Amino acid sequence: MTEQGWLERELKAHGVSRREFVKFCATMAAILALPQTVAENLAEAIEKADKPTLIWLEFQDCAGNTESFLRASRPTVAEIILEKVSLDYHETVMAAAGHQAEAALSKTVKDYAGKYIAMVEGSIPTGADGAYCTIGGKSALQIAREVCGAAAATVAVGTCAAFGGIPAARPNPTGAVAVGDAVPGIKNLINLSACPANAENITALLVYYLTMKQWPPLDQYRRPLFAYGKLIHDNCERRAYFDAGQYVEAWGDEAHRHGRCLYKLGCKGPVTFQNCPVIQWNQGTNWPIGCGHPCLGCAEPNFWDRMTPFYRHLEGVPGFGLGSNVDRVGIGLAAGVAGAFAIHGVARVVSARRAARADGEKPEGESQ
Amino acid sequence: MNDASARRLPESAPGRVYVWELPVRVTHWAIFLSVVVLCVTGTYIGRPFSAGGATTDRFVMGIMKVVHFYAAIVFDVALAARIGWMFFGNRYACWDQFIPLTRERWRGFVKTTKFYCFLRHSFPETIGLNPMLGLLFVGIFALELLMAATGFALYSVLAPIGSPMRVFRFLVPILGGLQDARWTHHVGMWLLITLVLAHIIAVVVISVAQRSDMIGSIFSGYKLIVDRQDGERDNG
Amino acid sequence: MTHIVVDPVTRIEGHLRIEAEVDGGQVREAWSSSTMFRGIEIILKGRDPRDAWAFTQRICGVCTTVHAIASIRAVENAIGAQPPPNARLLRNLIIGAQCVHDHVIHFYHLHALDWVDIVSALSADPAKTASLAQSISDWPLSSRAYFTEVRDRLKGFVATGRLGPFANAYWGHPAYRLPPEANLMAVGHYLQALDFQRQFIRLHAVLGGKNPHLQSFLVGGMATPVDPDSQNSINAGTLAELSKLVADARDFVARVYIPDLLAIASFYKDWASTGSGVGSYLAYGEYPEGDGAQPALFLPRGIIRQRDLSKVEPMNQEKISEYVKHSWYNYASGDDHGLHPFKGETVPNYIGPKPPYERLYLDRKYSWLKSPRYDGEPMEVGPLARMLVAYASGHPRVKPLVDKALATLGVGPQALFSTLGRMAARAIETQVVAEKMQDWVDEMGENMARRDYRICDNSKWEPSTWPAECWGAGFHEAPRGALGHWVHIKDGTIINYQCVVPSTWNAGPRDAAAKRGPYEQALIGTPVAKEDQPLEILRTVHSFDPCMACGVHVLDNRRRELVYVRLV
Repeated sequence: MTEQGWLERELKAHGVSRREFVKFCATMAAILALPQTVAENLAEAIEKADKPTLIWLEFQDCAGNTESFLRASRPTVAEIILEKVSLDYHETVMAAAGHQAEAALSKTVKDYAGKYIAMVEGSIPTGADGAYCTIGGKSALQIAREVCGAAAATVAVGTCAAFGGIPAARPNPTGAVAVGDAVPGIKNLINLSACPANAENITALLVYYLTMKQWPPLDQYRRPLFAYGKLIHDNCERRAYFDAGQYVEAWGDEAHRHGRCLYKLGCKGPVTFQNCPVIQWNQGTNWPIGCGHPCLGCAEPNFWDRMTPFYRHLEGVPGFGLGSNVDRVGIGLAAGVAGAFAIHGVARVVSARRAARADGEKPEGESQ
Repeated sequence: MNDASARRLPESAPGRVYVWELPVRVTHWAIFLSVVVLCVTGTYIGRPFSAGGATTDRFVMGIMKVVHFYAAIVFDVALAARIGWMFFGNRYACWDQFIPLTRERWRGFVKTTKFYCFLRHSFPETIGLNPMLGLLFVGIFALELLMAATGFALYSVLAPIGSPMRVFRFLVPILGGLQDARWTHHVGMWLLITLVLAHIIAVVVISVAQRSDMIGSIFSGYKLIVDRQDGERDNG
Repeated sequence: MTHIVVDPVTRIEGHLRIEAEVDGGQVREAWSSSTMFRGIEIILKGRDPRDAWAFTQRICGVCTTVHAIASIRAVENAIGAQPPPNARLLRNLIIGAQCVHDHVIHFYHLHALDWVDIVSALSADPAKTASLAQSISDWPLSSRAYFTEVRDRLKGFVATGRLGPFANAYWGHPAYRLPPEANLMAVGHYLQALDFQRQFIRLHAVLGGKNPHLQSFLVGGMATPVDPDSQNSINAGTLAELSKLVADARDFVARVYIPDLLAIASFYKDWASTGSGVGSYLAYGEYPEGDGAQPALFLPRGIIRQRDLSKVEPMNQEKISEYVKHSWYNYASGDDHGLHPFKGETVPNYIGPKPPYERLYLDRKYSWLKSPRYDGEPMEVGPLARMLVAYASGHPRVKPLVDKALATLGVGPQALFSTLGRMAARAIETQVVAEKMQDWVDEMGENMARRDYRICDNSKWEPSTWPAECWGAGFHEAPRGALGHWVHIKDGTIINYQCVVPSTWNAGPRDAAAKRGPYEQALIGTPVAKEDQPLEILRTVHSFDPCMACGVHVLDNRRRELVYVRLV
């Protein structure tokens, strides 16, 4: 597996200049929160790194993460890091032409046991004996157990793989689960959530591993801190409007046109850990809040259930309807109970006094 | 327990009894006032109105949040002190005032329930909290703890680097994520308001019904026990 | 008789499975099956209709706008919201960009490799390639030096043993017919198209925040504000950026895509009589040109039956129904009758073989796709359906372009009903849409000049303004064909939601009357020269552009097919 200088050759073959590569490393350094001066060192470290074997699996997915990766900035370099490296696995498949694909996969898994990195996109259905997602006649669960079980590390790319995502949303018709839940006890599980995961973070994770020879520190949901260590809210370009108390009230109003805070339209930036505002999307072109739409909270576990309704600050109260207003229900409850207590109290006092009067004809001033 | 004096109550003759010790009164009012501030600022934080003017001149949400956080410190300290005092204070401050565990309290609980269900005319005399009010306080304390826990979880992600409050991030998954913690915090506020209103009304009703200076006692600490015969009569 | 199973493995992933019986070098019988189910229609029940677009959008990350568009249209139709002109234009631009982007990727990165032999390109002469390229287009990147570089890079790939994106087992197959120079030219354009798509899709990020899964959709409008006097809105600078992206697309399509298509097609004219399919076509029409409930559409709506181009029948959505006779679902009223989407049910009932399996039970249920029918008939949807309806309706831009393409290839209109016809229709549509996009950019500028900054119908935003119970249908032309969403809303929540998607129309299994779906029908009679390398099956299936995350992926999403074939 060790093959010094492989990347240099690949870069040359793809017509990527050294300068372009160092520029890529500078971007990566920024995402990993390293000083820009390390870009050159980073470049050297990546070039000298051992070549990892990747296996990319797709289960109950929409291919959004793969597509996201296609849009990576400096894509040629990212492709080399990810695509070309992962292609090794596919070449094994192709080399085994005439064999069944499963056999080829098994061979890779066996030959590189404990050494390869499994990248997984999509959730894994457990219902109907796995028939909700089969590949070459095999169920997703069977494949995941086989491949992730023997991997050096498993990267769950996207919220579906990391947390179950949309297939696992209420009522979870297919019994979909996250990779970590489908194959308990996976070694070095890393969740790169978001819908889809930002390509820059996928690349940054691999660069981290290649250069530091270790996996990054993770948060409690096993997400790397370099990308999920801060709230969207804390890096948001519209934060000043939040603190000032200036909010968009309706779509297209003056506040909206001038980029004020989307908090009142249900923005989930304050409860979502992700680095969108810093790295943005599609070569740094834009990001959802930048185009005037609230954050959906897509990097958080179960966001399809927890963050919905998307356009409300809070979910309604169960039993009062989806869009019920928590405050209105609360005021009703408080007023109702207070009223009941008051009426009951007055009735109690009055009735006690009446009873007392009837009882002993005592003067009213004395208590019974 | 240093409630020896409380146990030596005069068997007869109305008199002033020292019921609410200073820590009880201080924490009571600290909790109450901080909750008022927390509810006002919290309601704004959850449902802000838009401020006009130049952004550079405005810091409405910022101020609301800071006030909310300072009020929360008062609330949390007072709550912790009050809960601690349940184990060091006099018999009226004791934790067993809230749950009718002893036979005496249970009997009192049944009597009070009968009174409230119009099955009994006279109000059963109690010096501290009546057992039903005690149960109400179980609810209030439980909600206050819930508010503290959800509040800590929500603050833990805002706390600056190096702040010890960051350890409370462990609460976030337990509470079902930040958005669920938010929801619980918000709904918890309304439940707490509801129970506090119930408490206030109940105290007023009791004061009138019992002719005791229940309301005054939480300021002065002393309660005037008017009619001890009442206790003997209630078997009849 | 040989039974072939084509279960496309895209890096160990495949959601479409074709089983076929081949005899005497021809496909005699074919079955199309989807092997993945997520139940998004079930998940949508009980949710806020304003959130539905985000859920349905996740049906597919490749055609990442289409289900969002259909969803907001369905909900708007139900609640009576009326998006303002800016929202219509923003949507048209997003839809148009998706269409152009998708078609270019499909041609160069998905489909071309069925026709272009990469390995043969290694032996091409760059000078001859340059003169070939210059003879068909004045595109600047056609020099001898350029093609020399491409060839050397290609040699580099092959020398390292890494075919990269060109990994495909079928090189040297006898069905490849292009000369080495044409192959090398196509490889060069393959690489250029890769760069083009990356740049062009920035249009989606500008208008939608990100791609995939744009996030600027709203029921009643769009979330991207419009204001020439604000840096946080679409302003004159944005319009200039959009114009530039659109102009690049127009240029690339006219000077690279169209000439390439015609050049390649001229070597494969026999495919103009293969892969005809069911012969009936359905188009919902797209790109509203006005506002209101029934706006005029730039590409018209209609039905063509049995290859009769003399008549375009109006589309009546009440005639659409879905069957589950051969799908892994159950209907409460029995599986022999179809249900209109408003009455649609999604109750999974898997009775197929327990995985791991070798063969599906083809005589019973065998797919996760339902079988949609119009008036009981299978319909083909997609660019060919749209272009046929536009052609038959006398569309002022489509008609001359189609006639010109037919004349260039020296074939008649009947050639349109074929595998090659689908490819030509896709290219022509790309050109028509790329040309049209500038009009929408200009129209936005005119709206701005009139100080019309409205982007959303806020009067229908709050559910309290909606009818207590309502039904709505939303129609959209996705790059791959006619897409419809049907929604039933009660008290502000979704009671029922049904999506009838292009892949279901085209790739669905047989219906209750045992009528084949378009894929299955189109494969009948397809020649198969080598049974273990069924390249021809791929050509026809690919001509439908089967992106099927809606249930199926026939293709690797990293744009490379790794189809494995088993002879059973």
